[in-house]
Amino acid sequence: MSRLSDHLIVAPILLPLVAGALMLALGGERRRSVNAAINVIVTFALVAIAVVLLCAADAAPSGVAGVYRLGDWAPPFGIVLVADRLAAMMLLLTSLLASAAIIFALARWHRVGVLFHPLFQFLLMGINGAFLTGDLFNLFVFIEVLLAASYGLALHGGGSPRVSAGLHYIVVNLAASLLFLIGVSLIYGVAGTLNMADLAARIPAIPAEDRGLLEAGAGILGIAFLVKAGMWPLCFWLPPTYAAAAAPVAALFAVLTKVGAYIVIRLWPLLFGDGAGASAHFGGEWLLLGGMATILFGAIGSLASQDMPRLAAYSVLVSSGTLLAAVGLGQTGVTSAALFYLISSTLGLSAFFLLIELVERGREPGADVFAVTRELYGDDVDEETLTEVGIAVPVTLALLGLAFIFCALIIAGLPPLSGFVAKFALLGAALNGSAGTISVAAWAFLTILILSGFAALIALTRAGINVFWASADRTVPRVTLIEMVPVVFLIMLCAVQTIEAGPIMRYMQATAQSLHAPQDYIRGVLGPAAVPAEQVR
Amino acid sequence: MEAVLALGIGVLAGSGVWLILRPRTFQVIVGLSLLSYAVNLFIVAMGRIRTDAAPILVSRAAGDPAQYADPVPQALVLTAIVISFATTALFLVVLLVSRGLTGTDHVDGREPES
Amino acid sequence: MATSAGLLAFLILLPFVGSVAAAFFPANARNAEAYLAGGIALVALAVTVSMYDGVVGGGVIRYDLAWAPDIGLNFQIRMDGFAWLFSAMLTGIGFLVVLYARYYMSPNDPVPRFFSFLLAFMGAMLGIVLSGNLIQLVFFWELTSLFSFLLIGYWSHNAQAREGARMALIVTSAGGLCLFAGVLVIGHIVGSYDLDRVLAAGDVIRRHSLYVPALVLILLGALTKSAQFPFHFWLPHAMAAPTPVSAYLHSATMVKAGVFLLIRLWPALGGTHEWLVFVATAGLVTFILGAFIALFQQDLKGLLAYSTISHLGLTTLLIGLDTPLGLVAATFHIMNHATFKASLFMAAGIIDHETGTRDIRRLSGLRRYMPITAVLAMVAAAAMAGVPLLNGFLSKEMFFAETIEIHDNSYLDRALPYIVTVASMLTVAYSFRFIRDVFFGPPPTDLPHMPHEPPFLMRFPAGLLVFLCVIVGVIPGLTVGPLLATALHSVLGPELPKYSLAIWHGFTPEFLMSIVAIAGGVALYFLLRSYLLVCDGPPLLGRIKGQRLFELVLVAVSFRFARRLERRLGTRRLQPQLQLLVCAALVAGFAPVVMRGTGSPVPVSTAFDVTFAIIWAVAIACALAVAYQAKFHRLFALILLGGAGLLVCVSFVWLSAPDLALTQLIVETVTTVLLLLGLRWLPKRFQSPEKSTFASIVFRWYRIRDFALAVAAGAGLAALAYLVMTRQRPDGIGGYFAENAYTQGGGTNIINVILVDFRAFDTFGEITVLGVVAITVFALLRRFRPAPESIPLPEQQLAQNSYDIAHPDRSKGDTVRGAMATPSLMMTLLFPVIGMTALYLLLRGHDLPGGGFVAGITMAVAFIVQYMAHGTTFVEERLRILPVRWMGWGLLLAAGCGAGAFVFGRPFLKSAYFYIEVPVIGSVPVASALVFDLGVFALVIGATILMLIAIAHQSVRSQRAPGSRTAPVASPSAEVV
Repeated sequence: MSRLSDHLIVAPILLPLVAGALMLALGGERRRSVNAAINVIVTFALVAIAVVLLCAADAAPSGVAGVYRLGDWAPPFGIVLVADRLAAMMLLLTSLLASAAIIFALARWHRVGVLFHPLFQFLLMGINGAFLTGDLFNLFVFIEVLLAASYGLALHGGGSPRVSAGLHYIVVNLAASLLFLIGVSLIYGVAGTLNMADLAARIPAIPAEDRGLLEAGAGILGIAFLVKAGMWPLCFWLPPTYAAAAAPVAALFAVLTKVGAYIVIRLWPLLFGDGAGASAHFGGEWLLLGGMATILFGAIGSLASQDMPRLAAYSVLVSSGTLLAAVGLGQTGVTSAALFYLISSTLGLSAFFLLIELVERGREPGADVFAVTRELYGDDVDEETLTEVGIAVPVTLALLGLAFIFCALIIAGLPPLSGFVAKFALLGAALNGSAGTISVAAWAFLTILILSGFAALIALTRAGINVFWASADRTVPRVTLIEMVPVVFLIMLCAVQTIEAGPIMRYMQATAQSLHAPQDYIRGVLGPAAVPAEQVR
Repeated sequence: MEAVLALGIGVLAGSGVWLILRPRTFQVIVGLSLLSYAVNLFIVAMGRIRTDAAPILVSRAAGDPAQYADPVPQALVLTAIVISFATTALFLVVLLVSRGLTGTDHVDGREPES
Repeated sequence: MATSAGLLAFLILLPFVGSVAAAFFPANARNAEAYLAGGIALVALAVTVSMYDGVVGGGVIRYDLAWAPDIGLNFQIRMDGFAWLFSAMLTGIGFLVVLYARYYMSPNDPVPRFFSFLLAFMGAMLGIVLSGNLIQLVFFWELTSLFSFLLIGYWSHNAQAREGARMALIVTSAGGLCLFAGVLVIGHIVGSYDLDRVLAAGDVIRRHSLYVPALVLILLGALTKSAQFPFHFWLPHAMAAPTPVSAYLHSATMVKAGVFLLIRLWPALGGTHEWLVFVATAGLVTFILGAFIALFQQDLKGLLAYSTISHLGLTTLLIGLDTPLGLVAATFHIMNHATFKASLFMAAGIIDHETGTRDIRRLSGLRRYMPITAVLAMVAAAAMAGVPLLNGFLSKEMFFAETIEIHDNSYLDRALPYIVTVASMLTVAYSFRFIRDVFFGPPPTDLPHMPHEPPFLMRFPAGLLVFLCVIVGVIPGLTVGPLLATALHSVLGPELPKYSLAIWHGFTPEFLMSIVAIAGGVALYFLLRSYLLVCDGPPLLGRIKGQRLFELVLVAVSFRFARRLERRLGTRRLQPQLQLLVCAALVAGFAPVVMRGTGSPVPVSTAFDVTFAIIWAVAIACALAVAYQAKFHRLFALILLGGAGLLVCVSFVWLSAPDLALTQLIVETVTTVLLLLGLRWLPKRFQSPEKSTFASIVFRWYRIRDFALAVAAGAGLAALAYLVMTRQRPDGIGGYFAENAYTQGGGTNIINVILVDFRAFDTFGEITVLGVVAITVFALLRRFRPAPESIPLPEQQLAQNSYDIAHPDRSKGDTVRGAMATPSLMMTLLFPVIGMTALYLLLRGHDLPGGGFVAGITMAVAFIVQYMAHGTTFVEERLRILPVRWMGWGLLLAAGCGAGAFVFGRPFLKSAYFYIEVPVIGSVPVASALVFDLGVFALVIGATILMLIAIAHQSVRSQRAPGSRTAPVASPSAEVV
């Protein structure tokens, strides 16, 4: 703990905090340009830090870049931050999204309401904290931070739809937070600790008559997470909120549901993995079923939605459902594929959210409602003169169209971008998980995933044709360069992920292995002697 | 005494749940406050209840854990209180704004048909 | 070999590079585009040709590139004879199509898009035929669907183009997804996606229990792509594409991908009864149906489209017959069909281009105006009909020969020769009609413009292809013989079945069949002629419009049904969501306890205490009353809520948690004030007498349900609490803090030490939440617009004011002032007192109940009191605090205090402390934690005040701008930043 580089682990939390505080100290909205500058610099700095942490974690044999003891108190008594592969990866993802979102927002969105920049930074602080912390209650605190900031950002720009959606969002999440508290305290009451690693180490030794209570606590805690992850039937607050949110905000929100999923991916194998004694795999089948239900609901919703924002919001549900189901399968291979999918789908969705706003700009509201009726009755072809000469497409529109196609391909999981690779990885792993024959769960997973991809294709084609082709004489949206750059940037990231699929996959597999065999994690946090015998295989 | 406390927690929570299931924003906010009381007490209860054992060291020295109530839940509750105070305030404002924008205090922002 | 391997990669890459390059040309660069695209196609062709030596005699050229080997995904390019044949066709015909398109596309057509897509498609198609890895094959498969979608929809302003494009995309990519699934299953069976290993593992696959599912899934992929019944309907609508596209994608190449896949995977999947049944049946039905419908088409391209379907059916049937000879014939026919059908499409395009119509009824006698085109078209059509001396005849004859063979000896199998003969009559009939109606007969009347020969280069591609038809038809052995052998060698292995490519085999039955077919076809044509000229669409099937049907189903399923489901499975209302949440929590909480059961509780530790019981009796009463009254008597409910809160404080004291009691008390106060401030903006609500309508019954039912939920939730939480309280306490981390609070943390108030030291990071987050919420509130309320009915002053004030105005000796507002005079004085005096208390709480926090948060919020109370005493304006005028800045500095202070540890190389928030004696207060712990607490203090003051101002300020605003919802109203920002 002497070199400054050791403090890098706390930087992803501290930096945004200081940035936000500084903005307030400078008078909040007085100097928006200064705030914007700070915001951009800090966000980019976060990317760099995340990269460093990622490399460090990947280099470390245990997969843990470092354990940071806040206040220098030894775990489990003090709070620790743990930067392992998973955390580092999520940090990088978040900071990349944030960079795109903030650049996009500079064009106009940061002006439609006050205090956008501080809220943005506090949101980042909350998200990063949630990824880094190794303490259950501290996790609660950071989730509250990110929720509080997300409330503010969800309402950024005001207006009746945002407020009505925001109201539901807030109430549901407040209720979920209360459940979170109940769960955490219940676990503390039974296991007597708050540190995740310590908890994992203690669970096998919990006396039988207390197990019920422990699992009750875990279950209630799980409900709280699943609300945030947007699992059906606890996800109805999500589509309106995301659809109503300002574009850059929605783009960043794409990672919020992933926070819920992240916690599940982090805690479930850690606490209820093979080493958990009698409680091993507690609730796994519920994750699987719930996840599949979520995929189906998301697919249905995206088919049923008549405007692009809702379509995108429902695609968010599909993506987090896929994650939950994949984790529920409880196989290392599937989990690693799921992590790959997480990155790809989050990038794609957030690019899509940004893109939608640009596309919708040039169009009169309510144009979408006709999409389906046109599809049903067909255009009156007879009256239409079939001019067999193409019409030149303005460059802006062509770019937007291209970007739209790419986003659609990523979301629907079609080639050539990462969506396809991710889907293939998921299905391949799921089918080959059990040697010999294919389990029922795997079949169901395969079917639902293929179906959801098909549904996404139909919905996106409908929307795309309606926006780009059917209204040929539409006014071209006025799009500035710095609004186009982030979209392209995110899509490029997906392309990179596709080309570099090999190394990235290897990283994901290493991550998944350390998740499913958490001894290294536990040792890393508590020290060598911590892992009880029955957990060491 | 545990029974009484448990009963109390139960009633607070029950009334709270009843209220958050009501259609009017004010009822919801009151319900959330009641729920947070219940949850705070619940958290304290998780440290098992002790009377006359306030976690304040009698002497300036290392204290004997047996003499004091479990401090951790209390610390958690303190944090929880602050956060619930903040969120309550926020929710209050949001419901006011929603009331101003939609003209109704129904949680869905519009009066139910029928 | 290495060089040719490199060339292989180059071959696939080239078209994509070209596609990207083509996209950057200016919109009117028709020639440049054509040169680029044509050049690329030529180069690709040359490369392919140059590789022939590598593949002849069963040779295979490979180019492997590790992509994601861990998941069995590698980039494997693999060219054998069969793939060579296809890539030669792709590139060769590709070049001709480009040349043709140069003249076909109108000069003011923005061709960059067109050629870009065309080249990309060529690349994707090459990718399919050269794939050495099944997943990679699926990858390119879906790409071809995508590019065909873009090409069909090229004239996107035509509704037909849009519909056709979408239909093609949805059908083919749905098939693609099935293929994907099938390939995954195959991969599961074989344990690899490598094509070689899959082809080698044929027996394993065929014996595996999952063979049939895999086969069906893969067939779905192949049959949709090759427009086989019942998925054939998309192809005719794809004809909305520019004719070059139809010629290339929808006759020569893309639709061949399906049959290509079938032949490719035949060694792995073929040779079973399922194969025979599924594939052959689909092929036969498509063959007949396509030919039948084609005969009754009036649109040239429509006729060609259905004839394509029919010929693909023929090919599929041959493959389905599941014999080596069948495959030979199939492969041969694929080549022949590609040549004559492409040239026919080009001819149709020329006719359309020159005359302005494709309607057979309006066309006639064109040979007078465009003799050369006419000859070309006629020869091609003859080849399609299977006239001797043309390539079509040869493959047709092989086909007949194959059908005569016995396969599974079912009735169908024995009837097969007769069936196909009849079907071939249809083929001949429509071919003959194409020739007769278009080129012969009287000169055309109402044509959009006068037809004449197109430029030579536009005719050239068709000419070349027709030439191929002829020479292949005349000297097959010398032309295609070796190529065919090479191709089949790589599918069937070294020992090829006995077949002869000769024009004349003597009077064999198959020859007889050909003759019968031709004669019958011509006869059929003359029979139906008069009807054909008037009919629209084939009889029987005329009413069924594939497209409309498809659209109806699509909308019904993918929208109507989906929307209904979404309504049923989802909700946009809040209450159901919360009910679900409560239910979920109940299940999650109860299920484990019930399932695992709970051991016997240890004897209750604390004795029964009457006062405590009474306290709780009151608290419970309050809670219930709140629940009952919250709807109609808000103020009352609020007071009771406060009551419950106070009793919670008391029980905190009893539970030996003084800090909690203190904090709860003050927070309670502030919360109540905030809620009171809010009450003013809520609508008035009066209890309405219960109407016993249906609605009220429904609502009663709702209430009962909610009541049950509430009771269950309460009982559940109570039960959990009781169970845990009566358990032995685990030796958790709790003890550690009592031991180290002073020795390590330097404070005797364990709670405070935990908050500012052990778990200071939580406090850190907690105050951030407070700050964030405060600025959110502030941001929200800047644009606050009160509901119109709540803008005027409350009755009370109105009454008082009117009273004041009524009495001349009083001025407006006197009553209020009078009433407030004494209290306000007292409150003003209270300010410093409360301030001192706050400071005291702050300083002693480390040792006794107190701390930054309590202190800060106490300070805020002092301000609240001033609000009550003097009203908003008074305070806002005198307020010397800039809340937002205070919050900022508070956070920075706390952070700085924590970061101070960096200097000493300690982790964040590492604290240091010592004590100093201060008179009156006593020994004060000067811990770095104190600085931290100061930060908390500042932030809490700032946040609370900001919220108070933001909310309280509204009353001022609404009076300042009564009713004017649009007028820009003063925002508190002026006062707070």
